[in-house]
Amino acid sequence: MRVFIGLITGMISGATPILLAALGGTFTFYAGVFNIAMEGMMLAGAFCAVVGSYFFHSWLMGILFAILGSLLLALIFVLFAVVLHTDEFITGIGLNLFAVGATTYLMRQTFKVKGVFADPGIVAIPSLQIPWIKDVPVLGQILSGQNVIVYLAVLLTAWSAYTVFRTRFGLRLRAAGYNAASLDSSGVSTARMRVLSLLVCGVLCGLAGAYLSLGYVRLFAENMSAGRGWISLAAIILVNGNPWGIALISLVFGFSDGLGLLLQGYNVAPQFTAMIPYIATLIALYFFSVRQKRLQKV
Amino acid sequence: MEEIIRMEHIVKVYPPSVVALDDVSVSFRQGEIHAVVGENGAGKSTLMKVLYGLVARDDGEIFVRGQPAQFHEPGEAIAQGIGMVHQEIVLIPEYTVWENIILGAEPAGLFGTIDADRARRQVAEEIAEFQFNLDPDAQVGEISVAARQKVEILKLLYRNVSILILDEPTAVLTPQEIPQLFSELKKMRDNGKTILFVSHRLDEVMELSDRITVMRKGKKVDTVEANRTTKQDLARMMVGREVIFSSRRSQHLYGEVVCQIENLSYRDPEGRQRLKDVSINVRAGEIVGVAGVEGNGQYELVNSVVGLIQPQQGKVLVKGIDLTHLPILQRRELISFVPQDRGKMGASVNASILENAIMLHHRLNPALSAWKGLLLNFANARRFTTDLEKKFSVNMASSDDPFRSLSGGNQQKVILGRELLLNNPFVLLDQPTRGLDVGSIEYVHEQVLAMREAGRAILLISADLEELFMLSDRIVVLYRGEIAADLPVESTSVEDIGMRMLEGYPEAS
Amino acid sequence: MNQKTISALIGILIGLLIGAVILLVQGYDPLATYQALFQYSLFGLYPLSTTIKNSVPLILTGLSASVAFASGPVNLGQPGQLVMGALLATIGGIYLHLPPALEVPALLALAMLGGALWAGLAAFFRQAFNMSEFIVTLMLNMIADFFTAWAISFPLMDRKAFSPMTPQIDRAGWLPDWGSFNSAIPVMLIAVGIMWFMFNRWKIGYEWRMSGQNSLFARLGGCEIRKNFVAVMLVTGALAGLAGGLVVMDGPHRFIKGLGANYAWDGVMIAIVANNDILGTLFYGLFFSAIQTGALGMELITNVPNEISQVLQAVLVLVIVASREATVAIMNRSAARRKARQRVVGHIEEKAV
Repeated sequence: MRVFIGLITGMISGATPILLAALGGTFTFYAGVFNIAMEGMMLAGAFCAVVGSYFFHSWLMGILFAILGSLLLALIFVLFAVVLHTDEFITGIGLNLFAVGATTYLMRQTFKVKGVFADPGIVAIPSLQIPWIKDVPVLGQILSGQNVIVYLAVLLTAWSAYTVFRTRFGLRLRAAGYNAASLDSSGVSTARMRVLSLLVCGVLCGLAGAYLSLGYVRLFAENMSAGRGWISLAAIILVNGNPWGIALISLVFGFSDGLGLLLQGYNVAPQFTAMIPYIATLIALYFFSVRQKRLQKV
Repeated sequence: MEEIIRMEHIVKVYPPSVVALDDVSVSFRQGEIHAVVGENGAGKSTLMKVLYGLVARDDGEIFVRGQPAQFHEPGEAIAQGIGMVHQEIVLIPEYTVWENIILGAEPAGLFGTIDADRARRQVAEEIAEFQFNLDPDAQVGEISVAARQKVEILKLLYRNVSILILDEPTAVLTPQEIPQLFSELKKMRDNGKTILFVSHRLDEVMELSDRITVMRKGKKVDTVEANRTTKQDLARMMVGREVIFSSRRSQHLYGEVVCQIENLSYRDPEGRQRLKDVSINVRAGEIVGVAGVEGNGQYELVNSVVGLIQPQQGKVLVKGIDLTHLPILQRRELISFVPQDRGKMGASVNASILENAIMLHHRLNPALSAWKGLLLNFANARRFTTDLEKKFSVNMASSDDPFRSLSGGNQQKVILGRELLLNNPFVLLDQPTRGLDVGSIEYVHEQVLAMREAGRAILLISADLEELFMLSDRIVVLYRGEIAADLPVESTSVEDIGMRMLEGYPEAS
Repeated sequence: MNQKTISALIGILIGLLIGAVILLVQGYDPLATYQALFQYSLFGLYPLSTTIKNSVPLILTGLSASVAFASGPVNLGQPGQLVMGALLATIGGIYLHLPPALEVPALLALAMLGGALWAGLAAFFRQAFNMSEFIVTLMLNMIADFFTAWAISFPLMDRKAFSPMTPQIDRAGWLPDWGSFNSAIPVMLIAVGIMWFMFNRWKIGYEWRMSGQNSLFARLGGCEIRKNFVAVMLVTGALAGLAGGLVVMDGPHRFIKGLGANYAWDGVMIAIVANNDILGTLFYGLFFSAIQTGALGMELITNVPNEISQVLQAVLVLVIVASREATVAIMNRSAARRKARQRVVGHIEEKAV
């Protein structure tokens, strides 16, 4: 039973950063932006979270800084891709490179260490115990006691679904992706919708990064996003953007993450268990692609 | 009638050096239907786009209701009561009719939600008021092109525009759908709306408009009253010389059957039957024209013949050889193909002219090979391109220039030249004159007729009924994936074909 | 000087300028920093030869990305193909004992094979299941990383070593140095030469280029898109694998932990800046190698952490690409404005007459 609970908790932990980043990517996906910079935004968020938390001894400041750092990257994306009309793919790759370089460099400059910065002075984001629910057997231990960000992620999933499908903003956002010319001739600026979608993505990826460095563990490591931005991208493509679908897929990936940790206890080499999320992505992509192939025309 | 819009000395140059509007001054009166005519590239669309704010002008003034106006984007024009319906309908196929109509002007509920009930109600009321006959909940991707056009118009009326600009609205309609549009437009005019109508179809313009402005090569030629001019006058003003409206096809004997399309049937991956038992024969020296409303199987027919699609049943034979399961390269040894979309299928616009010209010849022409077929003989390739340039009167600077630096007409000449120099017995032409200026259209027609004289078999798909009637020996109509008519051109008429395009087989007479 | 070169130079200048501002903000002297940077990479035989030697894997992975992108397939798998090539070459070097004249080519061939197979895997997934090679190559990168980490920690581990690494490869497989001139360099140059020739002079290179620019057009022109796709993936995978083999044979002579980590995204980065042009890749490979090589020496003199080079590289990439597109747009727009002014002036003169 303990194993089961551990597995579920591991699944939720692994899923949360992917879910948040993918939600951010969903907004840009619907707006028609080819955004592959989630990896970089998450990394920037993770670093800035540690900076905020360490220097202000507050996890709230950590979250704030994470959002600001990720937003900065989003603004650079806007500058190059929207204002200067640079190719979005190239801008995304450039931003990811910039995030890796800048966080590595700044870690060395600010904390005088290379590789990993772990310090008791970093304040982690706490978990939340919900009264009454926590006393429910089995379910209580899963539903209560999760990190604050996990609950936030759930709320944000609902908010995303509502915003994208029920509001005026959402109608226009999706129009920007379906047919930019149509939206422009309706008197709404597609460019503006795309910028807004990037800003939303910045905020959500910042939260994802904060969870990575202040919730999941309590440190910053070089390149700690470790490809999760790419997995979020895969998630968005597989589910065609729907927020609830993304939540489901994130759980699947999170599960594969947790499974890895479990298998380590059974003497499976850690390198192979670390591969599991990426293999899981390939398997999911397989099902998706085969289905797509059947529907292809020419 | 008083003046409602005045445009003075408008200049627009597209980078790097294309002068689209050259000091154009024109004025429109309130409550009139005013047509702006000219051939492709004359500047009539650009003039309207400048008025509407889609395109920034380089010089000149615009006055709306006496006040100077500077629209930076369509939203500002709409706020002043001016709305534009584009030639390419820009609706969102994934949304419903009412969602498309309210987009950008959505009635709001709590917290930014859309008040869907109010929206649907308002749209339904408007549809009833103008008697448009549309279902607000229909998905726009599923309704007819004429219906989509009505949605575009409704979108503007929803925002209370009083000046409507229509860019080539009849280009997407069948002959039968046009009178209804015209009567609706006239009713709107009688209700006080002003209608600006861009077109190159003189018959329609004469029938519908109160006044007509003629443009040529970026300049305004004149503005005349419709009831005081003739089609011949307009054509002369548009082109600058006498235009002949008759056919130049000669009578001759046809040869053997070159292309046999037999019982072609194709169901798409979503289960829709796109082609049903289609059979067409084309003889040497014959032009068979394919008419039909877009989306009735032309796309699938062309792609089946050329090899991009595999039909479930049927055969395609050229010169007796069964091509149905052969790869594209082998088909192209017999079939020359000028596709519908120059940029998407006919060429690589960023590659050089030479690289576009040698496609297929690089494999089929031994002169372009070197060293056991591995290398390209560039010297010969250059010679080949220069040869093509001369034979087909292509106006170009150097073979190494990017293909996109050529005008539309010259691009089409390169593609046509490349395909014709393959010397194939069967030629497949898909909308070969789309988007070309009158001079280029004439040139293409000449070439097509020359091919016919030279004994090639030609299958011509075109949305322009006039063109089909001018060039074809026989006309075939595609309706819902089936052949609804296969008639010699002398035994039918534009109205007859138009009817079959819309309704399939006519009622038993 | 043509438009392309001008915009590249402007981009480099602006990028360096922004870098200088970043340095200033941090309290460093930009001029001294840049001077140290280029002194340690370009001024002098030893710095120059080091820069060129370090540029080999950069240029090869850049070539891999350039040729792939220009031909259609989105091969982002250079990191994975590099380490798999390195691994296969290492295995060959441990178990094959041939005279140097045979050992070196054999190991190079194995390196190319390793990279080609890993890329071929992605090509297979695309052809058989329509799986996007964009995502597949990215996932395979991570998988290759972990796989090689396992390989050097367990089956291939050198028991005498303190950290995970393989034993050294046979002495015959070590790439010699001819004075300060490294023998990996001609290998790289030959590879660049062959690729350039193939891409620009062979029929298949023409088809690859057309397929990359407009695959529908190429298909209608009879090009066999599927075969070409697989061929491009295999060739570009081999290039990345070759880079991996050279890194092993030229450097530590064994597969150590973290090998190839430095070359992770550099290949893609260089291809992007060079706009997928083969000769451009050569130039930018050298350029970025200079920055990376110089940064280490720069740290010694100016105390600026060498990681700043990564930031500088990213800034340069963004700025050079942006300036390329902006320059073209600006030049076109000013040409248009000039012409418009002609028209307006012309008409004023007409009216005056």
